[in-house]
Amino acid sequence: MTHPVGSLTAYVDGALELAEQAEVESHLAQCATCRTERDRLAGAIALLARLPPTPAPSATFEQRFYARLAAQKEEARQRRGFLDRIAWRWLAPGLAGVAATVGVVLYTGEQRRADEAFLAEHIDLFESYEAVASVGAVESAEDVQVVAHLDDLGAKP
Amino acid sequence: MASDPDAALMVAFQGGDESAFRGLFEKHGRAMVAFCHHFVRDAARAEDLAQEVFLKLHRSAARYQPTARFRTFLYRIASNACLNELRRGEYGARRAVESGDDCAGGRGEPIDPDSLAGSGPNPEEIALAAALGRAVEELLARLPEKQRAAFVLGRFEGLSYEEIAEVLGTTIPAVKSLVHRATVAAAAALAGYTAEGKGAFS
Repeated sequence: MTHPVGSLTAYVDGALELAEQAEVESHLAQCATCRTERDRLAGAIALLARLPPTPAPSATFEQRFYARLAAQKEEARQRRGFLDRIAWRWLAPGLAGVAATVGVVLYTGEQRRADEAFLAEHIDLFESYEAVASVGAVESAEDVQVVAHLDDLGAKP
Repeated sequence: MASDPDAALMVAFQGGDESAFRGLFEKHGRAMVAFCHHFVRDAARAEDLAQEVFLKLHRSAARYQPTARFRTFLYRIASNACLNELRRGEYGARRAVESGDDCAGGRGEPIDPDSLAGSGPNPEEIALAAALGRAVEELLARLPEKQRAAFVLGRFEGLSYEEIAEVLGTTIPAVKSLVHRATVAAAAALAGYTAEGKGAFS
């Protein structure tokens, strides 16, 4: 075996398959150059344990986060209003790759969660302006905005 | 899955339990700030980024498969956010490294020995740790973004090669190569701090 330099880090990390690990081990037993390189890599990895401890987040980190989360939830609530205005639920048969499996989804209150799971799973398709526009469902500037920001719709009220 | 309490919290959150989400934030918030700090030098920006990760987590709840490990789901969101941040700030970050800017917060702050557990390190240890911290930050800033991500996920977050591959959406051989190249760069950058400084193949 030529010097297995490219495997030395994985060897130190214990990430090699057993067969390859055994090969590297027997090579190291006979090759001082590779042993030196292995020691160099292992030394660098060990050094990382001596880094300073992670400083704690600032005192307001948590509070600021929850303020942003509240704002996000509010935005989602408003966007859900827009969702009712687009007939996206009727688009399914017209969108490539989705037609066979989805059909038309009747939009009732109880269906909302299923709709949102469906939306989350097929988000790539719905975020494509071209795909949505080609089915003629985008009629206003607000509709365009919702298409662009569909991934921001929260699943929770 | 009984073996993954975080997965259980996510499932509870999917069912409408907001306190489950708060539990996840409490458990992982601090580590997420530290993770983001490996990608952005400014401590305040790292906190903003960590918050964005949790905001994304909150609105992506529907995409989480209960059988998946929560950790890989979280780190996938976090890595994407950090890599996007790098691409956005690439020009600015390169300028900062070239002009030798010191880190605004985080590692650059003095550490109070009394605040550390155990018998505590001596002043030499503290100084070495601080210098090491700066050397690692400069190294990270120089690494190509995928090497940087693989290195941070493996060395600081303790993910396995398999988990890193899942997080980055790549193969295990690719991760092996990324981690190796980053570690070779680390060995060169930290040569002055170790006994085994000189490389055999350099």
